[in-house]
Amino acid sequence: MNAIRAWMKERLGIGAVTGFLAKKEIPRHKHTFLYYTGSLILLFLVIQIVTGVLLAVYYRPTLAEANASIARIMTEIPLGWFVRSVHSWSSTFMIAFVLVHLLGIAFTKAYRKPREASWLTGVLLLGVSLAFGFTGYLLPWDELSLSATKVGTNLPKAIPIVGPWLSHLLRAGEDVTGDTLSRFFVFHVTVLPLAILAFLCVHLFLVQRHGMSIPLKEERKQRKIPSLPFWPNFVFREAGIWLVLVGLLLTVAVIFAPGLGPQADLMAPAPEGVQPEWYFLFMFQTLKLFPARILGLNGELVAVLFMAAGLIMVFLLPFIDNRPFLKKGKVITALAWAAFAYTVVMSIWSLL
Amino acid sequence: MKIPYSLFSRRAFLNSLIGGWLAALVAAFVGPFMKFVIPPEREPDQVSVPLADVQGLTPHVVKTFAWGNKPGLLRKTEDGGYLAFVGVCTHLDCNVTYRTEQRRFYCACHEGWYDENGLNIAGPPPSPLRRLAVSVEGDALVVRKQG
Repeated sequence: MNAIRAWMKERLGIGAVTGFLAKKEIPRHKHTFLYYTGSLILLFLVIQIVTGVLLAVYYRPTLAEANASIARIMTEIPLGWFVRSVHSWSSTFMIAFVLVHLLGIAFTKAYRKPREASWLTGVLLLGVSLAFGFTGYLLPWDELSLSATKVGTNLPKAIPIVGPWLSHLLRAGEDVTGDTLSRFFVFHVTVLPLAILAFLCVHLFLVQRHGMSIPLKEERKQRKIPSLPFWPNFVFREAGIWLVLVGLLLTVAVIFAPGLGPQADLMAPAPEGVQPEWYFLFMFQTLKLFPARILGLNGELVAVLFMAAGLIMVFLLPFIDNRPFLKKGKVITALAWAAFAYTVVMSIWSLL
Repeated sequence: MKIPYSLFSRRAFLNSLIGGWLAALVAAFVGPFMKFVIPPEREPDQVSVPLADVQGLTPHVVKTFAWGNKPGLLRKTEDGGYLAFVGVCTHLDCNVTYRTEQRRFYCACHEGWYDENGLNIAGPPPSPLRRLAVSVEGDALVVRKQG
């Protein structure tokens, strides 16, 4: 065993990595819990990959068979309902922790110099995660998923010049059809996984390179901050939290398994109660509230530009707030709270 | 004319030559790539609906037919003519339905309303339902793109 270990150490050069991890320390303070959110996202990502591969074994991405193949997974395949339920719930958990991770970093100003690139790759990872959710929502090919996808792929049309082309690219033509389904499947199982792994590697590398950010309040106290060794102390604490969350995930997956609507019919009117996944609800409600015309402009265009501006601001946050790390950032904190409140209120409103 | 000094070095010249060649190569692939990923349009030039199918149609009743991949909506008017629409909401592309009791078209996605003639009257739709031209030819109603 020792010989194998020595051989690996010499041939693979992993001594550098293990040496780094052995010395890595996690600062301890009031906000240490925020450091756990990143690894929790990884946990749910791994669950997504495993359950996703399992589902792809039986799923068939065609107009005629998509809905029926999910019905088969739900009713005939042993534990099929459970695998699908875990996949669906784990996506919810993953996005939820992505949002907590993002808000935590915004509030503690951890995106400031030198961690701008970590933030940029993080927002890209958020975008890829949302794209996973959006493409995955269509795959069951039921009435609701069809209508939600029609709305979602129509949105880019409002953008001048590239908009219509972008919508055609997403839909594979003018309408949502069987080609859209194949396309979304390909994105969901090949393009997006490659993208998420690529961005994730850069993100994780940058986090190690720059080390853990210490929140402003602690840094300003100008005292030595106690720390915790990454291995084994922090990893074991993390493992405990993973265990609890996996238990929670499996419990909700068993109790609240997702349903399956009737097969989508391209000719049928949109069903009542069309809704996207919960993390798109605030956009859905925003669209609903905008009138057809605002100051002579197309209301949809204004709504889409409004949301796009918000996203671009989030992406470029480290350059909008490029003050030195030790400065307070009350405006950004207030804006982050405002964005959070807007999202929560709009999401709840859309459910009323 | 002989220039006493060089405007750029040999290295800069070769770098931009190779860089430009690579950029041109990539650009040459973009066009075919885009052509491949967007399939040709499938909107029909015309669709015929047998007259026998619309014989029993009374005003304020709407018949659905297939306009390519989209639903088409056909309504008989009081004066015996026909109106046809593409049954897709002009807001965000959901399929609309006809509410007989209100005599209006309704989109469930974002609560958009159109009157019997396809005019957008309430909710977010920015423009009327798209009209199609209808003519009676022999024993069929022929629906065409308008204009």
